[in-house]
Amino acid sequence: MATETEHSPGEAVTARIERRWATLSIIIVGLLVGMAAYIGIHQATMPQGHVETADPKTLHLAGEFIESNLGSAVEADGSVTVRAIGQQYSFTPQCVVVPSETPVTFRATSADVVHGFLIEGTNINTMLVPGYVSALQVRFKAPGEHMMPCQEFCGIGHQGMWGKVKVVDKAAFLNMAAAKRRLTCVD
Amino acid sequence: MSDQPLVSLRNPWFVAGVGITVGIAAFSAVVGLIWLPLAQPDLKLSGIWDAICSAAGVPRATVQDASIKPEFRTSNVVMTSEMLTKPDQVSIGRGATLSQRCAICHGPQGVSDANSPNLAGQFAAVTYKELNDFKAGARVSVVMSPFAAAISDQDMKDVAAYYAYLPRVPSNNLNAGLPAPAIVVTGAPMRNIPPCGSCHGDIDNKAGSPWLGGQSAVYIKAQLQSLASGARRNDISQQMRNVARQMTPEEIDQAARYYAAQP
Repeated sequence: MATETEHSPGEAVTARIERRWATLSIIIVGLLVGMAAYIGIHQATMPQGHVETADPKTLHLAGEFIESNLGSAVEADGSVTVRAIGQQYSFTPQCVVVPSETPVTFRATSADVVHGFLIEGTNINTMLVPGYVSALQVRFKAPGEHMMPCQEFCGIGHQGMWGKVKVVDKAAFLNMAAAKRRLTCVD
Repeated sequence: MSDQPLVSLRNPWFVAGVGITVGIAAFSAVVGLIWLPLAQPDLKLSGIWDAICSAAGVPRATVQDASIKPEFRTSNVVMTSEMLTKPDQVSIGRGATLSQRCAICHGPQGVSDANSPNLAGQFAAVTYKELNDFKAGARVSVVMSPFAAAISDQDMKDVAAYYAYLPRVPSNNLNAGLPAPAIVVTGAPMRNIPPCGSCHGDIDNKAGSPWLGGQSAVYIKAQLQSLASGARRNDISQQMRNVARQMTPEEIDQAARYYAAQP
């Protein structure tokens, strides 16, 4: 029986087709892994590298999310770190001020429920999950104003939850930063 | 061919298939867990083990750098939505005795016409938080601060439980026919103002937000003004200052008058 099937012309065709499909699948897998690697290295928005935790109930007592530490801070390497919290139903600071043409890191978390964190005109779009810190990097090209709505239903007052990001000229920002260590544009 | 076992090292198809799959898995693991994390200088990874842990999502506490300390006292109360929602009778009884000290301004039944807050039926968490903030100096009042200075934590809980237990009494300004102003019903979504009731109990209650119905209009207006100006700062992480700052003086007036006329 074995010799019979070996001689059948149908088997040779099947084997050839199977080899081709296997080759094709391996190429597709290789391509997808390669794409993921390329995008991971070269695209602007990457998934967060670290999982960091913060207790939502005690954000206001100690740590980096206390009220007086929220806002934009100039780091030693010249980049800017913005710390913010989302809570029912506002962002604090309500108005974030950042410089143009500077690497900016947003670090934000939620004090109560899941909120959304989206900055219009940028690649920033993430969730603020109570218990975890969301950290994202962005570089604003030009001065201007961006809306920062909560885009994750967070309760009955959700539609009123907005913030604002004001991008100012780098020199103007550094002037402001010389006078104050945490900047906001809340009037 | 059919005599040959399928799962065997002597079957070249099996060896090749499993080998390639294992190879891809190993290659992907190296790329995803080691190479890509290390290719991101912003992550500041300390080595291969750190890269693997961070890519695998092992949680870590936030790196503590020097935070800017506040120049004023902030509230140190840890609010949760279930706090003080199950009072016991002993606590209420003790609170009734303790509350005699409060009666001169807040009324013997927790209601008065002295333009001080009416406490009857107020959420216990609210009374407790405000007493704490007065004691800690996060909220300052010429009248209240000295009263709160020496009160113990248990006494605050008891007083809060007693006032939460008292029934709300309609104030003299009750006017159920007064139409609700837009700022109360819908807020002003374009100015980051949600409807008042989304926190203050009419629709939903956020722990720490007081019931406003039947409070004196003078008191509500004064509080909104001092939250807007930043004179009062005991709302945790600016949750009410963010709202009050955006309200116009007319809206503050309308909201104060409306809530004073509610039960």
